Amino acid sequence: MRRFLWPALLLALIVAYPLVFSTPFLQRLGALVLLYAIAASSWNVIGGYAGQVSVGHAVFFGCGAYAAMGAYAHFGLSPLVGIPAGIVLAAGIAAIVGVPTLRLSGHYFSMATIAVAELVRLVVTNTDYLGAAVGLSGPTVPRNVFDLSFISALPYYYLFLVVLAVTLLITWWMANSRMGFYLRAIRDSERAARSLGAPTSRTKLYAFMLSAGLTSVAGALYAMMFGFVDPESGLGILISVKILIMAALGGAGLLFGPLVGAAILVPLEEISNSLLGGQGAGLTFVVYGAIIVLIARFQPGGILTLVKRELERRGRAPGKQKALQAGASHAP
Amino acid sequence: MARGQMSFILVQVIVGGLLLGAVYALFSSGLTLVWGMMNIVNFAHGDFVMLGMYAAFVVFTLFGVGPLAGVPFATLLLALLGVVVYFALIRDIMKGPMLAQILGTFGLALLLRYSVFWWFGANFLSLPQDIVGGTFAFLGLRIEASRLLAGVVALFVTLGLHLLLTRTSLGSKMLAVAEDATAAQLMGIRPDTMQAIAWAIAAGATGLAGALIATFFYIVPTVGETLGIVAFVTVSLGGFGSVPGALIAGLLIGVIESLSAYLIGDVYKDIVVYVLFLSFLWFRPQGLMGKT
Amino acid sequence: MQFKQLLGLVCAAAIAIGLTGRALAEDKVIKIGAIFPMTGNAASAGVHAKAALEVAEDIINNAHPELGDLPLAKNAGLAGLGGAKVQVIFADNQGSPATGQNQALRLITEEKVVALTGAYQSGITLTASAIAEKYGIPFVNGESVAANLTERGFKWFFRTTPIATDIVKVYYDFLADMKAQGIKADSIALVHDNTEYGTSVANTIAAGFKEKGLNPLDIAYVSNATDLQSQVLQLKEKKPDVVIMISYTSDAILFAKTMQAQDYKPPMLLCDDSGYSDPSFIKSVGKISQGVLNRSSWSVGPPGSPTAIIADMYRKKSGDEMDDTAGREMQGFFVLVDAIDRAGSTDPAKIQAALRATDLKPNQLMMGYKGVKFDEKGQNILASAVIIQLQDGENYVPVWPKANAAKAPVLPYKGW
Repeated sequence: MRRFLWPALLLALIVAYPLVFSTPFLQRLGALVLLYAIAASSWNVIGGYAGQVSVGHAVFFGCGAYAAMGAYAHFGLSPLVGIPAGIVLAAGIAAIVGVPTLRLSGHYFSMATIAVAELVRLVVTNTDYLGAAVGLSGPTVPRNVFDLSFISALPYYYLFLVVLAVTLLITWWMANSRMGFYLRAIRDSERAARSLGAPTSRTKLYAFMLSAGLTSVAGALYAMMFGFVDPESGLGILISVKILIMAALGGAGLLFGPLVGAAILVPLEEISNSLLGGQGAGLTFVVYGAIIVLIARFQPGGILTLVKRELERRGRAPGKQKALQAGASHAP
Repeated sequence: MARGQMSFILVQVIVGGLLLGAVYALFSSGLTLVWGMMNIVNFAHGDFVMLGMYAAFVVFTLFGVGPLAGVPFATLLLALLGVVVYFALIRDIMKGPMLAQILGTFGLALLLRYSVFWWFGANFLSLPQDIVGGTFAFLGLRIEASRLLAGVVALFVTLGLHLLLTRTSLGSKMLAVAEDATAAQLMGIRPDTMQAIAWAIAAGATGLAGALIATFFYIVPTVGETLGIVAFVTVSLGGFGSVPGALIAGLLIGVIESLSAYLIGDVYKDIVVYVLFLSFLWFRPQGLMGKT
Repeated sequence: MQFKQLLGLVCAAAIAIGLTGRALAEDKVIKIGAIFPMTGNAASAGVHAKAALEVAEDIINNAHPELGDLPLAKNAGLAGLGGAKVQVIFADNQGSPATGQNQALRLITEEKVVALTGAYQSGITLTASAIAEKYGIPFVNGESVAANLTERGFKWFFRTTPIATDIVKVYYDFLADMKAQGIKADSIALVHDNTEYGTSVANTIAAGFKEKGLNPLDIAYVSNATDLQSQVLQLKEKKPDVVIMISYTSDAILFAKTMQAQDYKPPMLLCDDSGYSDPSFIKSVGKISQGVLNRSSWSVGPPGSPTAIIADMYRKKSGDEMDDTAGREMQGFFVLVDAIDRAGSTDPAKIQAALRATDLKPNQLMMGYKGVKFDEKGQNILASAVIIQLQDGENYVPVWPKANAAKAPVLPYKGW
């Protein structure tokens, strides 16, 4: 029974967080953690489980954000309507990009994804229909609840929590299916996986499309919360890197790794900015950068690997860690 | 009259593109060395260039001397930093997954960029326009001496690094470590020393590049962001680890950018570069001069 | 055990954040939030804005009878609120619309500011002011030019700066005046970056000029360029009479260097504020940009005048010369605090009403506007600008219109 005690407590804490820490800023902080956890968990499908390090996930994030804002700006619809469109668009782009680039190995795949993301950002910056450099705005004054434009962060928090739960469920289901087995085999040795008869190209492509579709949901939710998207905030390379480092910092290839990463990095960023940003001396990023360096230096596999090792050390039954096991080792 | 002038301007555009490309090659050679040889993605590379620029600026403001002193100073300073970074950070994250390298070097990039910001402030700085002899006309073409110097140095750096890797015992030891560290160790080569030397050379070359770029570019803490991504594309187009590849790729990108900016419009030049880069990857995924 | 310490640090920071909101609830201090880019690409603008607002804080909180008609300067603190002092709480938007909005929320709910100002980049002003609107907190912007900001039907948003449509009029009138004096100004090239600022100003200028029968040549480029040779060669080839430049500092510096390298001098180089007003531009390339014309609402004025005194205070604070952008931010802040003073209360609705009733005359302003008076959308209808020129390569002097001019414009462009 004890093995369920801690997870249950944690879950209760997550559900109760915005009620306990009920100031608007802390509620919003919680919502942002969940939002970035959704994005990073989505990235985890291809970057963590399949080991294909995409540094261009901003494209998919932007698909969702632009679809949501576009639905409002061009058709006067609820931004929610843009979500399915964003998923289809993102998965479509992933398919187009994935077929040629997923056969590239290692760094070339990363470089190709950077190039695709930059290309899309540049094209959007020059496209008037998408607001060019000015960007697209959402409803400034909500017309009804479906505009998802709230003053309080509370509804966002629970909405994001539900979406995150769904994302993690899908990931968990995938990781424990035949597909997850193939992906881990590919990550450890693609050649070996292929020689054993695993459909490597197809599996990677499906994972890429799934990851893209899920990321676009995060983008759409982001745009709805902030009511705005422009090329830099929706498609900039910083978004790609941010998503990636959250997953990497928590533990890529582990189910809860991205959530842990987001739970550390988002508050770190917002709080260091709140405390130091107003001085105008750039100290925010000195602190932020130094902490990331330290984590990478002392815990290169992500923070969750530390927890995992601790659990293993205590000699717990391995059955419970099925989910964590997903990314036990990291192939170079 | 119009046609003659047009083609003449086109020549000027191409010459400018070549000079620009040589600069791209110059600040990419250090990246290709660590990326190709040690399989390290260095997200802080652009900020190394930035540090080289500030080093040259400090030498100028303190002693009033130009690149003659600034370039060696920046080279040595950055080489030293390279060694420090290697032992303090890289040696450990190399053992981890590729993601740890992105994480660590991205953090390092922020740390370097904003330490400089904290010390020097956010203002744009600049060296005097004529610090390397202004601009001269050659066959009617206008050429900035500072850019020409950077271009010539780029050729020498490329040649030097290439010879070092292919013709010296130090080079073959470094390559041996890059190929198989364990095997190299069995043959009496110390991987740690070799990799530290590689980092010193790479960072030194990057500092040199920064000091030269400072003679014709503005200096600001965030300048590394602008330059870093260009270096990434140059290196992967040239083939990871290929120093001559980086030179050719740099020149190619410089000319393509200049020509497309002039002929199609500046806002499309990066689109052209990325489209060509991506289609190139399709046909030759190992880059221009890379090994499969 | 690195991580336990790390975790401790984060927790401590979280608690500290929680506490700051409640502490210092003094009646005598009125808190105003200011959001600017203190890091990222636009950091130099944010750091200058901070210095400007700190000078304004000093002027308001201490007695400065030497500043003449400037409201709030004469006595210490706000007379309307029993001599209460003003405190500016600065926040960094990091160049991100999301961060800007988060910080606006923090300032409103944790710091309990009574009003907000900022946020430099139009996109961030947009998201930050949306939160202020939802909370019913006045937001006065002194510097963002994007037209859509005042087209959203907001009730709590006010803007004092001249916007693109005002700018077009200044340029057109100036060029018409020059033409009347026999200076050739028929062909015009419009060089601008493709950021939200560059595109929106350029589009408005192009549309405005087309209405008058002019057809400017459009040359767009990507901001933060590594090379601008092609644009300069294009200009060299097309030989326009007037080149209008819309650039941030980085590209403005590179343009100046490239123009000298390519030996290109347009007969008239007319620039649009931002990059060309940055003191770093003058320090870096002023000597090779002699005679550049610039749009500005700021001029230092004769020694001993209120503006000269403010310029002096600013120089002492920041180490740089006052520029138009910092000046417009400072002016926006003065307008906001003046409204709070007249409202005699920190109640947002009363401040909003006072802002609506704002009617400041030119002698009450530090910037060269014709006054400050808001229309129903919150836009200042009396905002205007003058043309200044960098004649000696070191200091801008106002040259147009005649009423404001210290010197006559010197043409053609001298360069170096």
